[in-house]
Amino acid sequence: MGAPGRHTAELTKVKCYHCGDPCAEEHRTHDGQDFCCQGCVVVYDLLHEAGLTDYYALGERPGTKQRSSVDEQRPELFALQEVRSRFVEFSEGGVTRARFNVPQMHCSSCIWLLENLHRIDPAVVRSRVSFADKELSITFHEDKLTLPDLVRLLRRIGYGPRTTNPGKTRGGVPRLLYIRLGVAGFIFGNTMLFSFPEYLGADGEAGLKTGLQWLSVLFSIPVVFFLSTDFFRGAWAGIRNRRVNIDQPIALGIVALWTRSLHDVLTGTGPGYFDSLAGLLFFLLIGRWYQAHTYRALRFDRALDDFLPIIVLRKSGTEETPVKVTDLKPGERIIVRDQELVPVDAILRAGTGHIDNSFITGEPLPVRKNEGDTIKAGGRQRGAAIELEVLRNFADSRLKQLWAEQESAHERPVMPRMIDAVARRFTMAVLLIALGAGLFWWSRDPAQVWPVVTAVLIVACPCALALSMPFAYGHTIRLMGKRGLFLRDSEVVERMARVDMVVFDKTGTLTTREAHELTWHGTPLNIEEYDRVRALARNSTHPLSVVLATTPHPGRRQEGNIPAWSATDVQEQAGQGIRGTVGGRTVRIGAAAFCMAEETPRESGEAHVHVAIDGRPRGYFSIRKRARSGIVEAVLRLRERMPLALLTGDSQVDPGLSDAFGAGSIRTGCSPMDKQRGIHEAQGRGRCVLMVGDGLNDAGALAQADVGITVTETSAALTPASDAIMDGPAIAGLPHFLRMARRARRIVIASLCISLGYNIIGVSLAVAGHMTPLIAAILMPLSSISVVSFVTAATAIGARELR
Amino acid sequence: MSVIILLLLVSTSVAGLFLLGFIHAVRRGQFDDDRSPAVRILHEDDPRQTKTP
Repeated sequence: MGAPGRHTAELTKVKCYHCGDPCAEEHRTHDGQDFCCQGCVVVYDLLHEAGLTDYYALGERPGTKQRSSVDEQRPELFALQEVRSRFVEFSEGGVTRARFNVPQMHCSSCIWLLENLHRIDPAVVRSRVSFADKELSITFHEDKLTLPDLVRLLRRIGYGPRTTNPGKTRGGVPRLLYIRLGVAGFIFGNTMLFSFPEYLGADGEAGLKTGLQWLSVLFSIPVVFFLSTDFFRGAWAGIRNRRVNIDQPIALGIVALWTRSLHDVLTGTGPGYFDSLAGLLFFLLIGRWYQAHTYRALRFDRALDDFLPIIVLRKSGTEETPVKVTDLKPGERIIVRDQELVPVDAILRAGTGHIDNSFITGEPLPVRKNEGDTIKAGGRQRGAAIELEVLRNFADSRLKQLWAEQESAHERPVMPRMIDAVARRFTMAVLLIALGAGLFWWSRDPAQVWPVVTAVLIVACPCALALSMPFAYGHTIRLMGKRGLFLRDSEVVERMARVDMVVFDKTGTLTTREAHELTWHGTPLNIEEYDRVRALARNSTHPLSVVLATTPHPGRRQEGNIPAWSATDVQEQAGQGIRGTVGGRTVRIGAAAFCMAEETPRESGEAHVHVAIDGRPRGYFSIRKRARSGIVEAVLRLRERMPLALLTGDSQVDPGLSDAFGAGSIRTGCSPMDKQRGIHEAQGRGRCVLMVGDGLNDAGALAQADVGITVTETSAALTPASDAIMDGPAIAGLPHFLRMARRARRIVIASLCISLGYNIIGVSLAVAGHMTPLIAAILMPLSSISVVSFVTAATAIGARELR
Repeated sequence: MSVIILLLLVSTSVAGLFLLGFIHAVRRGQFDDDRSPAVRILHEDDPRQTKTP
């Protein structure tokens, strides 16, 4: 090492050959390629052996990182009959077919690899991917490969399946919608054909005309009784809840169209508007299809089962047996291994606990627990296996309660959608106009009342209105998804557009989970000395030692994870430091006093680790959690527009962030209740609050906020009560996202104006009594098509500007 | 004019057959996944496939 240097985990800009992540702490080279961790190397080797390296040729760094996710249950679980039955579709003569939900698949390489499983293990007969549902269906010889082994195989290559049921409901567009769309297109086209003679005003034979009209009548029956049922149902639901929604004017329009047309044909006064009716449904269904197409593949609702170990090892005497969590009784002993979640409240009986509570609190640094300490459910052990005594039943544990709370907190009052507010006024206006026109014609020519009133209702049918929202918000959701923000539904876009205050929870959201910033102060250490320090640090599970042990010397480019040195004679003094002999030299790391050094003044949010070699103090590392890149700029940009707040459970905030936020907007030491209350107060002042948080304990605050966004590092993370999930690095783009949402809202408003323009033209024609079937047939598709093209173009242009 | 009626009937029934075909395809699940079939067809069949059961 040269001069005292500042170095961070992202020293090398090398990307992992397998997963594409930047190679940082555990950077290693293997087979001439760079990898970010041992997990990726293992997968690479596995694929290499099976001759599956095409995987890397198909996509750019396609792999999924091997993460010890909370999802990963013990594979033994899959041997349990009740779990097994969730996945196995059939099993006969040793051949079994199982269906798994594999959320990790994301690209064509994934598809290729998952469909070539038989080349990794010959016991697999066939594997098939359904990308839209993120499902994998595998047929295999169960006598050669058990279900738990199959799960292990999938995990080894980084596609561990979810333990919950793949589900009976499909994620994609419902089949019925496709069928309806097909029928609608068929009827629309043919009815238009039947109406052609009318359009052209051809004086054909009367018999032919009547025949065509009756064919149209015949074709219109499925339109009303099969294609329109969803709209009728929606309208009826609105009536029952005493609410006006967009479905009601649509249903009214459909009924008016059909009865008027039937009346015309029956009385022989005209050909009816059957072509417009079919066209209307065709366009409406396209809107529905687009909506379903955009929102799929996002599953927000996850059961507790997804996160908790369902099976734990119970220890009785020397025997360890897997049991279900729900069967645990107080007083029993259980074993929790490295990276496993503590499922119930328990007392530590043997071993040292390093409990990571990030699942609950979002705080990533583990807390040390000694024998006799209580460990709450939901903490994750990091380190050697520990033995615990069960304190409470699973049903009474804090985790279960938190979960129940967040489930109930989730039912937030439905915010009135803009489209429904518009629909309410719109429906009122249409009914008034129809009534007015009816009265007017009553006094002049009673015979015209029926045709005029129905014509008004027909032409006012807000098809374009109903199309503008799914398209504008659907596009926006898709664009946001590409940048790492995944919204629950289109309503969230609308709420985001109104946000005028942003609240951050600091832990985990603004700082990266695992990356730390290390700065050395003092006499420079050379690479050799540095590695000795790291070798010693590896012997401790203290969070700071872990950071030290996993951060390589900046002068080193390529190395294995394990320093060549190993420490002997290691002694750890709790709360003080650790000392040992490394390659003949005594090394001490820890507090200033432990290393015979002077106490150094510390800034807030910073920790100092002193180092002494051969009894001589050499200096200290200053370690701080690193704020995500770009976050300070994002905060400053947001501040220009709206007030911000940082509600953190920590006692201190590091200076870079506190400068960005400004002193007045930071509150430290907040409990989950404080956060929730803080947001409630802001809302009381008329603010529309967006909360960015993580962890189960933010659930209350996230649910309280008008928009709650959960920040996650892995796809397996918990998403409590949130409206949206955000990839960690995407948080710097928050100002962008808010702008996109506001723009989407403006586009919807503009498209509403366009469709209202059409309606005004149509209604005036109808009131005047000039509404012929031909005009309706032109006006209605025209308005729908122009609104959809306007919305699509405007969103695309907007997206380009934001780039 | 009866020719037109005949043609109409023939053409709608042909269109109806296509509609039935479409409905059948949807029910068989051909529209369930619009991504993987497109990708699958591009994957090379590997001649080294020796491990297949």
